[in-house]
Amino acid sequence: MTSVPVLEAKNLTRRFGGVVAVNDVSLRVGRSEIVGLIGPNGSGKSTMVNLITGELPADGGRLIFDGADISSQPSYRRARLGMARSFQMLRLFLSLSVEENLLLAHHIRMKSSMFDTIIARRSAVEEENSVRKRARELLAWFDLEEFADNPVSALSIGQQRMVELARGLISEPKLFVLDEPAAGLSPPNVDRLITLIHRMRDEFGMSILLVEHDMRVVRDLCDHVVVLDSGVMIAKGIPEMVVKDPVVVEAYIGSGWKRRAKA
Amino acid sequence: MKKLAILLVVALVAAAPFVVGGYETNVLMNALLYVILATGLNLVAGYCGQFSFAQGAFYGIGAYTTAILSRDLGTGFWFNFPVGIAVAGLFGLLLGIPALRLKGHFLAIVTIAFQTIVYLTLSQWTSFTGGQTGLPVPSIGPVSLFGTTLFEITSLRSYFWFTLVIAVILLFAVWRLLQSRIGREWIAIRDDETLASAVGLDTTRGKLTAFVGSAALAGAAGVITAHAMRGVTPDDFTIWISATVVAMMIVGGKGTFIGPIIGAVLLTSMPEFLGGFAEYKMFLFGVLLVITVTLLPEGLIGRVRRLRERFS
Ligand SMILES: Nc1ncnc2c1ncn2[C@@H]1O[C@H](COP(=O)(O)OP(=O)(O)O)[C@@H](O)[C@H]1O
Ligand SMILES: [Mg+2]
Repeated sequence: MTSVPVLEAKNLTRRFGGVVAVNDVSLRVGRSEIVGLIGPNGSGKSTMVNLITGELPADGGRLIFDGADISSQPSYRRARLGMARSFQMLRLFLSLSVEENLLLAHHIRMKSSMFDTIIARRSAVEEENSVRKRARELLAWFDLEEFADNPVSALSIGQQRMVELARGLISEPKLFVLDEPAAGLSPPNVDRLITLIHRMRDEFGMSILLVEHDMRVVRDLCDHVVVLDSGVMIAKGIPEMVVKDPVVVEAYIGSGWKRRAKA
Repeated sequence: MKKLAILLVVALVAAAPFVVGGYETNVLMNALLYVILATGLNLVAGYCGQFSFAQGAFYGIGAYTTAILSRDLGTGFWFNFPVGIAVAGLFGLLLGIPALRLKGHFLAIVTIAFQTIVYLTLSQWTSFTGGQTGLPVPSIGPVSLFGTTLFEITSLRSYFWFTLVIAVILLFAVWRLLQSRIGREWIAIRDDETLASAVGLDTTRGKLTAFVGSAALAGAAGVITAHAMRGVTPDDFTIWISATVVAMMIVGGKGTFIGPIIGAVLLTSMPEFLGGFAEYKMFLFGVLLVITVTLLPEGLIGRVRRLRERFS
């Protein structure tokens, strides 16, 4: 594999009125790497995610994805280029079934034209069937197969989180950006999540940018970590070193995070 | 089973003119036109979640396209029909573009403004549209293939059957559209636009397609009505038509295939049972709308489905 990173964010900046939510932050995610993005509440992690996936325009900086400058691309183009994401505040299409939620995320990979699907051309029907099969396989992978036809609103929060992950996977992304996927999960589900993310990287060769609150998750999963505080990057490196970094510990104490850092 | 039921309903409707009189046939014909209009509005408002108060304007654009074409070029129905659909679709695109940046009340206001502008143009630009007196439109007349006349569309009955055939074809096309990828994408845009973009959907394209499809259906109904009525006047395409179509869609159940069809049939036939009170029908529609929105947010069809679930 080449050494071109999947994602290179250079000097990203974003202001909200007087607040500089992200201040000149750079990071890179290498191929099949899991990079952690951590920091206290309000430190700019979600804003950083939104800048990377294109939900928010940046006030400055550049984004290189898979070797190409995508700074001016809207979010749907970035998704088509191979970026998937999950949301801190879980987002699913609530009036659609679990399976349909996955199918929508696969539309961008489908080859048959809109017209083909309307006239139900054989090739389009076959493609739709094979995508449905793939959706079922993925749902089985997440132990959700029996819920395929249920509306997503009928699932528990933990299950909805899994649907979000499956939705990302079905689009076969090069980079999967996860914004606090462990939020709201029970401890056994957090263990499952860790296993699943490991498998996503190992079995699909995916690169992952992981925003996380839970230090245990970060230590178990991440190859590298970037630490934000008040929008500024205050440390980066391997997890073991970063957690001991006095600057990081200081930031954690300041926001009552020491407990969690040690836990 | 389901196919059989649909076939049966269509056959029954088709047989109606043999049983009922001319007046009732005319009411049924109107119901068919409103079915097309409400189904069209449902694409953009019910499925894609972009509210529009302009269905009457697109109806008028289709009708006036065929009227002006037959006046200036002498072209007949079969040429004017696709052109009327296309022109209405084009205006749908035109309205869709500002609509991309607007939501909720602001979008509603822009569509009302559009409806008003179209009405004013039809009624004031006398040299082009005939002004308040409108324009005459010839009947569809004989339909021939390879030089032999197959049948003639001149009588009320023949118009009714013809409209029924067109309506069935259009509804089938819409049904296929809704089953296809684009139908799913419209629902996704309605549910959560940010998420729709995040999973790679081009929401701009999705919304514009909905606006165009919705307007095109109204245009089709407009061309038919212009020929059936032998003429057009601006007052056939007022904001009241738009409001009626909105009421039909909501009362029947927006975002479902069958809801707007039921709403259109119900609200078209209802004034016929009111006798002397028929002139207050807009008031009645308003009351129905308020009742539906507050008590049956999913419309009649939503309530029927709930009841069926409960008893099965
Ligand atoms: N849409 C927004 N409008 C205004 N301020 C915002 C917006 N989103 C985030 N912020 C501010 O930016 C800062 C960083 O927020 P966020 O990125 O959500 O942090 P984190 O995800 O690390 O908790 C906070 O001060 C927050 O109040
Ligand atoms: Mg956050």
